[in-house]
Amino acid sequence: MSITIETTDGRRAFRPGDRIEGTASWYLEKEPRSVELRLFWYTQGKGTQDVEIVQGVPFDNPGAVDSRAFSVELPLAPYSFSGKLISLLWGLELVAEPGGETGRLEITVSPTGVEILLRPDLAGDARPG
Amino acid sequence: MRARDNPFAVHRVLAIRYRLAGDGCDWRGLERRLALLDFRAALVGPHGSGKTTLLEDLGARLEARGARLRRLTLRRGERRPPPADERRLLDGLAPHDLLLVDGADELGCAAWWRLRRASRGALGLLVTSHRAGLLPTLHEHVTTPGLLAAIVADLLGPAAPPPPTPPEELFQRHGGDLRAALRELYDLYADHPSCPEGARPDMPGGSWTRRPPSPSRLVQIE
Repeated sequence: MSITIETTDGRRAFRPGDRIEGTASWYLEKEPRSVELRLFWYTQGKGTQDVEIVQGVPFDNPGAVDSRAFSVELPLAPYSFSGKLISLLWGLELVAEPGGETGRLEITVSPTGVEILLRPDLAGDARPG
Repeated sequence: MRARDNPFAVHRVLAIRYRLAGDGCDWRGLERRLALLDFRAALVGPHGSGKTTLLEDLGARLEARGARLRRLTLRRGERRPPPADERRLLDGLAPHDLLLVDGADELGCAAWWRLRRASRGALGLLVTSHRAGLLPTLHEHVTTPGLLAAIVADLLGPAAPPPPTPPEELFQRHGGDLRAALRELYDLYADHPSCPEGARPDMPGGSWTRRPPSPSRLVQIE
């Protein structure tokens, strides 16, 4: 069983409003009832976790072994950012039902192409998106 | 350190599941005892001792056996659930419904007896409470410095340096409240310039869009 999400040219960093294009592929043991690609953001840190699905792309008649092209448009906000208390991250997730098999790709959404850091002393942690 | 890299970030703490400990205490025994109590029982313990985690884990095991879970979380001082939540919990109860009520000791007498009466039409009623007496006690939660140390070690990973404050000291300072101790560790690590070498800043597996974080637990962690 495997699920992969690849963007065109392997891009992982995008600007707000960009269109993300790529291919979702899966190899499942049984034919799924549904497979959906989701563009979403979520938070991590000390407080309440938030998750928001911005766009869902269902794939018609998915096979057990299949590959589909996708295209989603990023909104203008929020940006990928990190502070000491909270980080906001973007991702693409493919969910196959039943069973809830998933694959995920983390991406960065920012006008600068890199995660916004709320404090300069966090720069040592930053990794390219 | 970025919040996402903090070894004690909420999403990582929530990924730690309940550890049954004690003589003769295992999942099979716990489920057998719950069945003997006609699925009406309480998980009892102080703040931050893992009651909510056990409620979720036990519920998941019973769901896998065919129970349908209906959940309600009471916030501090909530003497009765909001009407919409109460309707969602109790309307159309079926014999395979298991009611999971977190923080049942917050309920006032009238709301508690209404819940108990309504639960007669369900498979059972499993609650968490800070005090014994609402229902027969299924499990009494006890925390130890060793338990906190084990959880801290799991969150940090084997290669990370030990925390700046020993878990035993944190345990004493917070009176055995593991949640409060882990929150203090979050703050201590937030001031590190970067993620400690060898720590595990990875994200737990599973879907993040299919299974959003449980609001009931997050309310208590905050």
